[in-house]
Amino acid sequence: MDDFTCPRCRTSKFQNPSLKMMVNVCGHGLCESCVDLLFLKGSGSCPECKIPLRRNNFRVQLFEDAAVEKEVDIRKRVLRDFNKKEEDFATLKEYNDYLEEVESIIYNLSNNIDVVNTNKRIEQYKRDNKEQIMKNKGKLGREEYELEELLELEKQLEEQRKKEIQMEEIETKKKKIQDKEALIDELMFSNADAKNIIETFAQQAQQAKEESVDKLPSRATKFSTGIQIGQRSNTTFLPVPTDEGPLYTYKPIILSVDGPKPPTTDEILSKGFINHVRPETEQGRAGGFRSIIACSRALQDSMSGLFHSKKSSTVH
Amino acid sequence: MLYSVCCQCQKDNLKKHSKSKQFSNTFLYVSDKMFAASTQCKHWMFSSEEELNKLRDLANAKHIQVYGKNIDPATKYDFFLTPEEEKIMVKRYELHLRDFCKRFQPAMPRCVVGTAFHYFKRFYINNSVMNYHPKEIMVTCIYLACKVEEFNVSIQQFVANIKGDREKATDIILNNELLLMEQLNFHLSIHNPFRPVEGLLIDIKTRCSLHDPERLRPGTEHFLERALLTDAVLLYSPSQVALAAILHAASKLQENLDSYVTDTLFGEDGRGKLEDLIDAVRGIRSMVKLADAVPDRNQQKILDKKLDKCRNPENNPDSEIYKKKMLAMLNEDDDLYGVISEQNYSMDNSALNMSIPTSPQVA
Repeated sequence: MDDFTCPRCRTSKFQNPSLKMMVNVCGHGLCESCVDLLFLKGSGSCPECKIPLRRNNFRVQLFEDAAVEKEVDIRKRVLRDFNKKEEDFATLKEYNDYLEEVESIIYNLSNNIDVVNTNKRIEQYKRDNKEQIMKNKGKLGREEYELEELLELEKQLEEQRKKEIQMEEIETKKKKIQDKEALIDELMFSNADAKNIIETFAQQAQQAKEESVDKLPSRATKFSTGIQIGQRSNTTFLPVPTDEGPLYTYKPIILSVDGPKPPTTDEILSKGFINHVRPETEQGRAGGFRSIIACSRALQDSMSGLFHSKKSSTVH
Repeated sequence: MLYSVCCQCQKDNLKKHSKSKQFSNTFLYVSDKMFAASTQCKHWMFSSEEELNKLRDLANAKHIQVYGKNIDPATKYDFFLTPEEEKIMVKRYELHLRDFCKRFQPAMPRCVVGTAFHYFKRFYINNSVMNYHPKEIMVTCIYLACKVEEFNVSIQQFVANIKGDREKATDIILNNELLLMEQLNFHLSIHNPFRPVEGLLIDIKTRCSLHDPERLRPGTEHFLERALLTDAVLLYSPSQVALAAILHAASKLQENLDSYVTDTLFGEDGRGKLEDLIDAVRGIRSMVKLADAVPDRNQQKILDKKLDKCRNPENNPDSEIYKKKMLAMLNEDDDLYGVISEQNYSMDNSALNMSIPTSPQVA
């Protein structure tokens, strides 16, 4: 694409390295600045074939030949509707016929052969297979989604790895400085032979290097694509929670009432205390409230402290 | 609380599913919320009116001792309020509190009023009226009670109910709030007699043959309102006050609930305790009877003037000393901030130093 020039302004990639070629449905290229210029109002006609075009249909040209670009565009559009899979056909022959038809449609459209009739054929097909198209679109969407997820995951892992490498570099730098200072300190304060000290330090450094070399390959296998997929399936499930410590055992609450014994929940129901409070609303029940709670609280409050005696309270 | 109730409820539901329909023999309500286990029972119930008066006298004497050093002890009450006068002031502001709460917009639930009364009473057991003006403490009590009882009003909404300088009122309330809580020892949860009344009415409807117990309600409510003006809530448990209110309302209607109380309510487990209860009910009713005394207007004006003269200027928001004190506190805060930020700065530096290893022991 290096020697590509804009057909309108004749700017080439050589003159302007940031030149971006755009292409629209007709397959004729234009550079970005020309698109800006011509399609100021949002729509206009192609300078070569005079076909009316919309500005937001311009895309960056990926292929050198603009005709390929056009074909890709048409193929994309056609395949959006012709989205049947091999599983959808009874025999291989039928499937091949179908593919043949798709290809001929694409060919016709991209080479402007019998466009009106071809478009009619597409419309006809769309009408006939409306349901199936919708169904397959859903399936396709799911597959794309999964693919995207995979890509995202890969990206994340990549970033993580980069971070780790960075961390490690910082760490080794630090370690080096530390070692150096330790060596100088040792040389300054120790009474041992300077040669010996340097030797032991060199040995230590060597060992450390070997260790780090040992470490590296294991990390590489850890993030290889083969394992990544395995990990992915693991991450879709939450880890099974493991409860440690003794199991919960229910202990009934001991009330210090300082009054007559309030009725239990059984008695509130069986003796009819519950009939004298407002029944809970449906919304209340949804929130976990039951009228028995209010009833039992009122009863307990009314009993609690009835035996309270002034003599029993401590003198302040 | 709500959470625990829900948990309990879920547990119950689970049980219901696992063992067909069978409720446990336990209670749905959590024990530490019961009156018998509350701070109210432990720290704010007193044995007699004499004890309360002794504490109040002590607060009065302490104040005079601190602020009346230069005044001859023989004539000290010419300048300072006597304990008796202090009590009259407190009583008067209790009436103010009640009226303020009645007029309050949006309308206030009863429990807020009850809680505010408790706070106000507790505050002046250990504090002198001369030290903190009851007008200021009263509004602070109500404001705090609104919060504690989950009656959601903002401070702006609150001071909209106050006549006069609202900004000043806001300052007073917010400045006094912490002081109030401190004086209450942070014992903020209050057991009011209102829920026990509901419980007793449910019980009466269920276990007593009284015709239409709802008739008791107006009389009961009137009694409770007057009971809040007395010291009864500091001497008797909320359920006892509630029972006294119901018995009083019943006697007004020429009904007799004695057999319900002795046989049904107390029954077997309460045989020995009945006497105490009768004493309590009698005590509460006689105290409430005395609550209706109308205060003397002229005496009030004299007392107001006396208090204006002898009140502690350090806690009077209009005085110069108070303003100076507040300013000093504000500066102190700034200083404190300066010290803290300096400390942080030096800590940062020391952390920086640490990143370069200097110790010779590393190798």
